[in-house]
Amino acid sequence: MSEPILPAAKSSSQLNDEMLSSLRTPTWSWYALALFLGAVVAWGLYAFGYMLTTDMSCTGLNRPVMWGVYIVNFVFWIGLSHSGTMVSAILRLSRANWRRPILRAAEAMTVFTVAVGGLFPLIHLGRNWVFFYLIPYPNQRGLWPNFRSALLWDATAIFTYIIGSSLFLYLGMLPDLAVARDRSSGWRFKLYSVLAMGWRGAAREWAIFHQASTLMAALIIPVAVSVHSIVAWDFAVTVIPGWHSTIFPPYFVIGAIHSGVAAVITLMIIIRRVFHLEDYLTPLHFDNMGKLLLVIALLWSYAYFVEVQTTWYAHEPIEWEVFSFMADKYAFLLLFMIFANSVLPIVALCFKRLRRSIAVMLVVSVLINVGMFIERFLIIVPSLSHKNMPFVWGTYRPTWVELSVTAGAFAGFALMYTLFAKCFPMVAVTDVRELEAQKSVVRLSRTRLQSSAEKE
Amino acid sequence: MEKMTSQYRWGMVVDLDRCTGCGACVVACQAENNVAICGKKEISEGRNMHWLRIERFWVGKYPDVRARFLPVLCQHCQDAPCEPVCPVYASYHNPDGLNGQVYNRCVGTRYCGNNCPYAVRVFNFYNHEWPKPLDNQLSPDMTVRTRGVMEKCTFCVQRIRRAKEDAKSENRAIRDGEIQPACAQTCPTDALVFGNMADPRSRVAILSRSPRRFRLLEHLGTHPSIYYLKGGGREHV
Amino acid sequence: MEVLGIFSDKESAGIAVEHLIKEGFVERQITSLTSVAYPDGVLVRTEQRTWFRWFTLACGIAGAGAGFLLAAGTAWLYPVKTGDKPIIAFYPTGIVTYELTMLFALVGTIIGMFLEMGLPTLRKRVYDPLIAEGYIGISVSIHSGGEAVACGADVLPRECIGAVAALPPDEQASRAEEIMKAAGAVRTIAEDRI
Repeated sequence: MSEPILPAAKSSSQLNDEMLSSLRTPTWSWYALALFLGAVVAWGLYAFGYMLTTDMSCTGLNRPVMWGVYIVNFVFWIGLSHSGTMVSAILRLSRANWRRPILRAAEAMTVFTVAVGGLFPLIHLGRNWVFFYLIPYPNQRGLWPNFRSALLWDATAIFTYIIGSSLFLYLGMLPDLAVARDRSSGWRFKLYSVLAMGWRGAAREWAIFHQASTLMAALIIPVAVSVHSIVAWDFAVTVIPGWHSTIFPPYFVIGAIHSGVAAVITLMIIIRRVFHLEDYLTPLHFDNMGKLLLVIALLWSYAYFVEVQTTWYAHEPIEWEVFSFMADKYAFLLLFMIFANSVLPIVALCFKRLRRSIAVMLVVSVLINVGMFIERFLIIVPSLSHKNMPFVWGTYRPTWVELSVTAGAFAGFALMYTLFAKCFPMVAVTDVRELEAQKSVVRLSRTRLQSSAEKE
Repeated sequence: MEKMTSQYRWGMVVDLDRCTGCGACVVACQAENNVAICGKKEISEGRNMHWLRIERFWVGKYPDVRARFLPVLCQHCQDAPCEPVCPVYASYHNPDGLNGQVYNRCVGTRYCGNNCPYAVRVFNFYNHEWPKPLDNQLSPDMTVRTRGVMEKCTFCVQRIRRAKEDAKSENRAIRDGEIQPACAQTCPTDALVFGNMADPRSRVAILSRSPRRFRLLEHLGTHPSIYYLKGGGREHV
Repeated sequence: MEVLGIFSDKESAGIAVEHLIKEGFVERQITSLTSVAYPDGVLVRTEQRTWFRWFTLACGIAGAGAGFLLAAGTAWLYPVKTGDKPIIAFYPTGIVTYELTMLFALVGTIIGMFLEMGLPTLRKRVYDPLIAEGYIGISVSIHSGGEAVACGADVLPRECIGAVAALPPDEQASRAEEIMKAAGAVRTIAEDRI
């Protein structure tokens, strides 16, 4: 829309154009993708509607396995949400400059995964239509929810997290929205004008903005840790063998970051390809994210080892029964999980050449998330299958309803993400340009400034 | 907090040396409490609705194989793991020491069912129906539970309520043996004894002090209100 | 009243700021409008101290109170015994209190930030979409000598209004525009020029 006059290797306008390319008018392939994802979501909704209108017998749940794939999904999605905001916040606080092109993708992922994950406890209810019994508000029923229940801690923590991570996403996007506003017209201009809140980029605004970003990053990290700890407490506070374990909260937090970082890498690869951002998401980014993933894979392996090792040594019969049942009935899943979550990433990510290979990173990151989904399944189902009373041991196999809802959730997440990418800047434009600007501001105008390139 | 505000603490003694595994208690419970009727399909899926089950174990080696029976119903734990996990107070502790379950509060998180170590909580996976004329057998003292709610043994709380009202109208305390849950009433060998544990002279309290006593999964610290009696002798069945 | 000059590069913008100060405007009257952040002092100097973090703290404390009342207060008003746990239980109350503290602090940070930025403004302010393309805006707030000016805490009016305030506002504005044009402004925009 405006003429590029600025002389530079890559002018600000060019940078804007390239990084805001996702906002261009959708192509037919985008519509095709959106339609496909919408169809899968509709199928998932149909499956849910079927369960809602008939009864829960269409699931694979039974006594004793009363929690199944829905809760696996809940833990999985809430776990995915972790690295988004948390990694972004940690990188912000540690001033890692390579974070800049990744931020938005990660933060947006958090918001949508929490949204999807937060739905699952409600989908899972036996009487979904009275879900509002769980909400604390004065009502004529004379009922109040029980804050001693871990499920209420979940609700509180997830509410906090979804508000916090949405605000964090919005805060990071504020200057980008102003740029998008200045380059748009029509409904987009109106939308961005409202969201940009009249941001002009005054020096004082920037000063306050930077302090607010740092503060938000510092505040959101402990919230993220608490959210997955509380999800872990859903299991750890019970008396169920295999669940009642003090290592669960840190183990779950590590697992959450593991799957989250992997998901960010997968999304980076997709975004890079789809929006042609090869210049911004370079092998350097994958190298750095690969190192992070390597550390987390090691931590995860350590936590898993600790959990199983103590149980194996103590050999407390009821608890050991759960583990041996899992290793027996789900041997393939267990081996696959250990391979995908631990062996493969640790081996592959040790090599710089593999970390810098997009194809390898795609395989590793996708397999980690498959492995993490299995891990949640193996935590939830075998423990319930072989609880304390051998007379009511059972098994569980998900049905088409549960699998359809799961597929709908994946498609729903992808659809929300696709829509978001079309409506909002997918790369933190101003953050990236700030880096460019800082590199060039070495000895300029009224002051001398150490360039950020020198700092590194 | 004051732990008990009632003069009653309902409890039961199950004498395993008397139990023949006949299953009369299961049927009585089902009839008394409008427990849904389950067929082969539901039971094979693990969705049977029995509030009281007879666990049967085979002990010994062929040809000297003997059956051992263990009637398991809600243990009405004093430290019940099922209660605090309920987000809507559908599962709560009443002053008489009973594990209450309020059906119309239940939203069906099934958290209580998971956290019950005895697996005595049953969930309405199906929308159970009583085709005519079976509906005529429904007890008017009990609600019929809808799909999506958790239910379990209440120690026939409707009988306890009625006895309390009778006692109140006569201005007296409930007499020992006045209340009998359907299972205890039906038991042909008198293996199930119900009564007030808070009264040390009640039959149930005397039996619960027997040297043969034990409680299920005692190591979990749930403090069940049900005592099982089992001698060291050979099984007689 | 505000005058805005648009510059294509940092050097000319910097020159314009120096000349404006020589003319008698003060640092506080001048700000830069940029689409990327420049370190303080490259273009203009601005106050770096902020108060909104105190607002965050206050919200956090309010959140702690709200969380405590939500978990402990309502349990006390609605006492139902479950599983031999105390009605006001330590860990659950702590967890809910913590979550609400963080929630209020997070929301408070954003609200406080916008309050301190003075956003959103209902009044339309001078701006140019070229700023988004990497151009730099230098804005001068113009006050006349007799005007009552809120300069902020601990700042005397003479520190936030320059010596040129003796001149009528229109005169000041045209001087500022001249200076910025001379320094190489692509264009200048003046607010409500009558």
